[in-house]
Amino acid sequence: MTQQINSRLSAFFSTHRAALFTLLVLILLPFIVGLMDGESPMMVFANESGNSKFAQGLAIEIFILALYALSFDLIFGITGMLSFGHSMFFGVGAYLTGIAIKTFGLSLPATLGLVFIAAIVQAILFGLVLPRVKGITFALVTLGLGSVFHIVVMSSELGPYTGADVGLQGVIVPAFISPANERLRFYFIALTILILVYLIYKRFVDSPTGRVCVAIRENEGRARMLGYNTFYFKLAALTLSSLTAALAGFMHTLYQPIVSPNIAGMGFTVTALLIILIGGVGTLSGALVGAVVYRLLDFGLRRYIGESASFISGAVYVLFVLFIPFGIVGTWKMKSLQIKQGWQRIQKLFG
Amino acid sequence: MEYILDVQNIHTFIGQYHILQGVDVRVPKGSITALLGRNGAGKTTTLKSIIGLTPPREGKVIYEGKEVQDMRSFDIASKGIGFVPEHRAIFRDLTVEENLKIAERVKGDYLRKKEFIFDLFPDLKRLMALSGTALSGGQQQMLAIARALVADNHLLLIDEPSEGLAPVIIEHMMKAIRLLSKDSTIVLVEQNFLVASQLAEYYVIIEEGRSVQAGSMKDLANDKAAIHRYLGAA
Repeated sequence: MTQQINSRLSAFFSTHRAALFTLLVLILLPFIVGLMDGESPMMVFANESGNSKFAQGLAIEIFILALYALSFDLIFGITGMLSFGHSMFFGVGAYLTGIAIKTFGLSLPATLGLVFIAAIVQAILFGLVLPRVKGITFALVTLGLGSVFHIVVMSSELGPYTGADVGLQGVIVPAFISPANERLRFYFIALTILILVYLIYKRFVDSPTGRVCVAIRENEGRARMLGYNTFYFKLAALTLSSLTAALAGFMHTLYQPIVSPNIAGMGFTVTALLIILIGGVGTLSGALVGAVVYRLLDFGLRRYIGESASFISGAVYVLFVLFIPFGIVGTWKMKSLQIKQGWQRIQKLFG
Repeated sequence: MEYILDVQNIHTFIGQYHILQGVDVRVPKGSITALLGRNGAGKTTTLKSIIGLTPPREGKVIYEGKEVQDMRSFDIASKGIGFVPEHRAIFRDLTVEENLKIAERVKGDYLRKKEFIFDLFPDLKRLMALSGTALSGGQQQMLAIARALVADNHLLLIDEPSEGLAPVIIEHMMKAIRLLSKDSTIVLVEQNFLVASQLAEYYVIIEEGRSVQAGSMKDLANDKAAIHRYLGAA
């Protein structure tokens, strides 16, 4: 019995070596950066300003982006639905959080509950068009829905709630999670949420429902021929994706001092698309890797080049898509299989 | 004679094109029936019309005594009709095992049937963990047929099973189809008349979207004029 547990544990550690190492690095990151900056772990715990606090902030932004990109990978990369209105999923979460806390003074759990209800409603709204349109038509209809939402949050009539084109400001975040004073706590909460959502997504994709979603991406007609009413599977993927994106929006509002209307625009949907193109479409872990590369590249270029950073980053993305079309994780998976097969051939050759 | 499928005068349009202009197909229970005809005659569209992928605008499709022509494809499939499309239509991004598991209609179908499937196609057992892209053409075709066997299908619609396969593989495929016919009724679309005539007991010839002749395969094998006229075979 003990031997069996030991062998299972050793198999688990050997299979998930890279993931466990990454997790360990992320847990220790604030302290490693602190030590490099001459700060003791106690100073890091005390949330004193310094490079560690700055790195935590950057990492929190990456975690939120990764959550958002994961949600897009589920509907586009796994289920094959190209939505150009995905930023609406994020925007609803972000704006609703801000309005609920600032205008209506709701508590954090009540706000989160409201965000989840809104996420389900908007998934159903997108789902209503599912049986009628697919492919590029679905992309255009979702673009229309997303654009309507963007116009609504920018409108001056809703200005007192959304801040119109200036953005939503002055959301008082509860002290225990304040990104200014309790950033380390926020960092670990965001990291925990990301890991949990990633594991849920992995479980979903490996489940029978997830396999049908992959089948729909490849050929919806074939999935229907097997007796599946594909509408329900697409709606399930949309709902999970909407819940995740809204959760990312919720965290965005808690972390950022201003909710900019840009997060509800088409450009933010393209951000999600770019992230999964960089990481690898349909790989899930690609969304995480892509978010790291995207945010660090953006940060690095803006810091060292300034205003023309967007031009350079645009060129980098074009080169990325041209030369690494399957993304970092996608290409790694393909190449590692080839390397493995090559190694097996060499071993066979020499007995 | 008891008929499991009775297709009555169906008319099917694809876009503005009137593809099927009156097709009748009667399939006796437990038989293998071949749909024959030249390229573009409407054989595949007939199968797709039966399964509801290109629903007929007119006519009736009666399966096990019930009209199904107005039902959606997944509802028709769940009544016990398995479709093996042409061009080895497997899910290439899924592994062999996942391709089989996805065809479960009731939980446990795969576990119940896997021994039978692997006896029929031993190659698939060896290739379980490989993705569809790693399979050869013959292996993909075996997987496509195997997938239709996971659920309890009373009727199998098989489109061009021998297309593009080596003769040795075709032999194996024919053996498998014969074995399958012991448990299910089969409607087969086959360009290769030799293969069709060795497998099927009944036939329907489709010519320019219309069924023009039907009967016993034994009779057709002796009717050289019909074979030459409708199928172009000598």
